[in-house]
Amino acid sequence: MIGLLQNLVDAANLGSLYALAALGVGLLFGILRLVNFAHGDFISIGAYALIVPSFEVTAQLFIGEWNWALMIPTVTLIVVIVALISDALVFQPLRRASAPTLMIASFAVSYVIQNGILMIYGARPKAANLWSGLDTPILLGELRVPLLQIITIGVTLALMVALTLFLKQTRYGVMMRAAAEDFRMAQYLGVNGNFVIGLAFAISGILATAVSLLYLSQTGTLAPTMGVPLALFAFVATVIGGMGSLLGAVVGGFLVGFIVIMLQAYLPEDLRPFRDAFAFTFVILILLVRPSGIVPTRAFIERV
Amino acid sequence: MKSGTRPSLVRRFWPLVALCLVVTAIVALGSLGNDELQVTITEMMIRLVVVVGIYLFIGNSGILSFGHIGFMCIGAYAAAWATVDPTWKQMMLTGLPDFLQNNQYGFLPAVAGGGLLAAFVALLLGSAIMRLSGIAGSIATFAFLAIVQSVYSNWESVTAATSSIIGVPTVVGPWVAWLFAIGALVLAYVFQISRFGLMLRASRDDEVAAKSSAVGIVKVRLIAFVVSAFIVGVAGALYAHFLGILTADTFYLSLTFVTLAMLVVGGVGSLTGAVTGVIVVTVVVEVLRHMEAGVAVGATNLHLPQGSQEIGLGIIMALVMIFRPSGLARGREVPWPFTPAARRAKVPAV
Amino acid sequence: MLDVNDIHVTYGRLRALKGVSLSVKEGEIVCLIGPNGAGKSTTLASIAGGVTPHRGTISLEGKPLAGVGPEGIARLGVSLVPEGRHVFGALTVAENLRVATYMRKDRSAIAADYDRVLALFPRLQERIGSPGGRLSGGEQQMLVIARALLTKPRLLLVDEPSLGLAPKIVDQVYDILLAARKMEGLTLLINEQSSHRILKHADRIYVIRGGHIQLHDTAANLQDGEAIKRAYFGFGEEAAIDEEDAA
Ligand SMILES: Nc1ncnc2c1ncn2[C@@H]1O[C@H](COP(=O)(O)OP(=O)(O)OP(=O)(O)O)[C@@H](O)[C@H]1O
Ligand SMILES: [Mg+2]
Repeated sequence: MIGLLQNLVDAANLGSLYALAALGVGLLFGILRLVNFAHGDFISIGAYALIVPSFEVTAQLFIGEWNWALMIPTVTLIVVIVALISDALVFQPLRRASAPTLMIASFAVSYVIQNGILMIYGARPKAANLWSGLDTPILLGELRVPLLQIITIGVTLALMVALTLFLKQTRYGVMMRAAAEDFRMAQYLGVNGNFVIGLAFAISGILATAVSLLYLSQTGTLAPTMGVPLALFAFVATVIGGMGSLLGAVVGGFLVGFIVIMLQAYLPEDLRPFRDAFAFTFVILILLVRPSGIVPTRAFIERV
Repeated sequence: MKSGTRPSLVRRFWPLVALCLVVTAIVALGSLGNDELQVTITEMMIRLVVVVGIYLFIGNSGILSFGHIGFMCIGAYAAAWATVDPTWKQMMLTGLPDFLQNNQYGFLPAVAGGGLLAAFVALLLGSAIMRLSGIAGSIATFAFLAIVQSVYSNWESVTAATSSIIGVPTVVGPWVAWLFAIGALVLAYVFQISRFGLMLRASRDDEVAAKSSAVGIVKVRLIAFVVSAFIVGVAGALYAHFLGILTADTFYLSLTFVTLAMLVVGGVGSLTGAVTGVIVVTVVVEVLRHMEAGVAVGATNLHLPQGSQEIGLGIIMALVMIFRPSGLARGREVPWPFTPAARRAKVPAV
Repeated sequence: MLDVNDIHVTYGRLRALKGVSLSVKEGEIVCLIGPNGAGKSTTLASIAGGVTPHRGTISLEGKPLAGVGPEGIARLGVSLVPEGRHVFGALTVAENLRVATYMRKDRSAIAADYDRVLALFPRLQERIGSPGGRLSGGEQQMLVIARALLTKPRLLLVDEPSLGLAPKIVDQVYDILLAARKMEGLTLLINEQSSHRILKHADRIYVIRGGHIQLHDTAANLQDGEAIKRAYFGFGEEAAIDEEDAA
């Protein structure tokens, strides 16, 4: 019983990270039809921005050492700027390109960022201690939950509420929803397309930063390709949830977190290493039997 | 204009002949160089086989596949299972079936086996996913790549997982690779001018038909997918017998990126584009690699930082996508050189 | 007010417009009619900036619109109601309407406009909180027109307002367009497939077919409908143009 509860908490924790990453991916897909491979690298940048550039194996915190009230905005700003630059340099000139072409372009952006990190920080993984004080477990009855997991889940919920309020209550949010549904029509009504897309990249960058910080503080390791698995699972989540649906991305993220933890816990020992293969097989099955995902959107059906 | 409606055989196959000549010239020139150049040329020919194989599917069907390097992985491992020394296999690859574990096969059967296994997997996968197109199709192929990666990098008793398969006989040099490159070119060209190729291209250029999952089109797409997986599987087998050592992560995102970059830079619309892309990207990457290694200027050794190669390639690819979306070859084949210049523009692309 | 001069548009290999010219003067109701695939929607989309002609010019009050883009053209006071409604299905009726006001500089006037426009559409008022996708076809047509009016356009382009609607509803749509025109001092350019309703309301009529303007005259001169029919179906001298295309 306690084992199951423990697993559920782990699932909620991992699901939170995937849901945040999937939201970032889903937001851009909704507006731009871009399946953004580089989202994982935005996450990596958020982590690397915290440390002193060097080839050392043990990372020395730099921005990461600042007071969190200063550090979080600074890192976020860095990631947002990178996201906006990638839009301006690559995706903006490709506005008329097809979705698969955009996907390749984001592959190129991802490749450049990964190797840029490698150039500045070296290829080897590094250890880094971010917020190590938050590791203390909290006892809830017999359940031991690391404080970090509670923070992760809490931050995720808070960001989701904030994003929802933004989308529903503010003019920019309404513009984004309109553009996500029918980009050209929104433009005919005077909505500035590049502005809305820039906004989506910025928000996607903010979400990526949240994942960077939470993930790094949990794992304590940095690597140039650290964001790749996160982005891959975010794709899985968005496909399962329904491409272009933000609710779907969140549901998909938590579902994938749940599936991964449960496979990890209950799969027979010798099948456990193939966890990812199961997850991706599930993606293909979903595409085949329910291409619009669990939470279909009209925009998806028109687009694919 | 009889010659326009029924071009002579020579003219019909001219683009293929021209490409084969170029490829042969490159290998011949390369064989005069040092060992390092031989290695570069061999790798380039193997990549040519991969890219031509991928082109056969993407170029004809218009569906972007991110999964073909998975077929390369499958072909490479299958061939290595056949040619590695049985005593090593009995020790390390205990999960292999007896006929592989206890025997050692020659290079050619191994290559054929690699291609066939890849083709067989493509048949299974393709039967399921060929009716998906656009972004859904691309994501499905990507998921396939991730599945292959996960299976091959973890299946200890069959792939040796992270400890690699070692001792694959390194029998592939420039001329062996060249032979397969020519074979791939012929196969791809014959396919594209065949009834199947023309049908696929017609569906690719017509948006409504491309989106449709009409049975006829899906079947032809599947044929293209299987043939293309076969070629890429063969390329995997060659690569295994070029490297001599196999690890699954060789066949993942980086290689997928490099091969797609080649196709995009040259242009996915034509075989000439595929070949152009391989040549141009290889040259650019080699130049950057040499500059990374350093150029002696007087007493100092100037060199670009590590990673420049990859960044350079990424930037070039993005530039081509933005400024020349149909690639360097613009979707055309090598034109017939004996037409008066004024009329050349009207020669239709295949 | 609007001058379209010899525009050519192609989609891939298909030539949709082969030199279309037309003009609209301040306060007029101009109608563009033609059969399926004639190029009506393409013409309106070109004016609104959704499609870029590869030849020819479009100017608004003498200023060329090339390179301005759809959002910029909307800000200059040209609003398109495209064919097929294009309601934002997941947004509520109120949100659909609000999107149209975000670009406006005269924020203080928006609230009053909002009430005034809604007064024209009592049905929308009733459904103000429901998602746009839930409205009936007629209601959606009302919504997209109301939405376009809230951009405070000077020139309203309406693409086949009668498409797929019952005749009674079409009458309502036209009544509203005419009322809005009177109230807001609008200029109208309307696409239709058939001429019978339009002959009543329009000042001038263009007939388009095969990407060419086949006929252009005042509505008064075309009342008997014969000339329109000939241009529309391509009898008589018009056939010559098709041969020229084929060559
Ligand atoms: N996005 C597009 N891609 C390719 N061809 C198009 C596109 N839009 C229109 N066409 C083609 O261009 C031509 C003109 O189309 P257009 O929509 O302007 O005609 P229309 O007069 O509005 O017809 P309808 O009365 O059916 O709405 C048609 O042959 C049509 O098939
Ligand atoms: Mg139309």
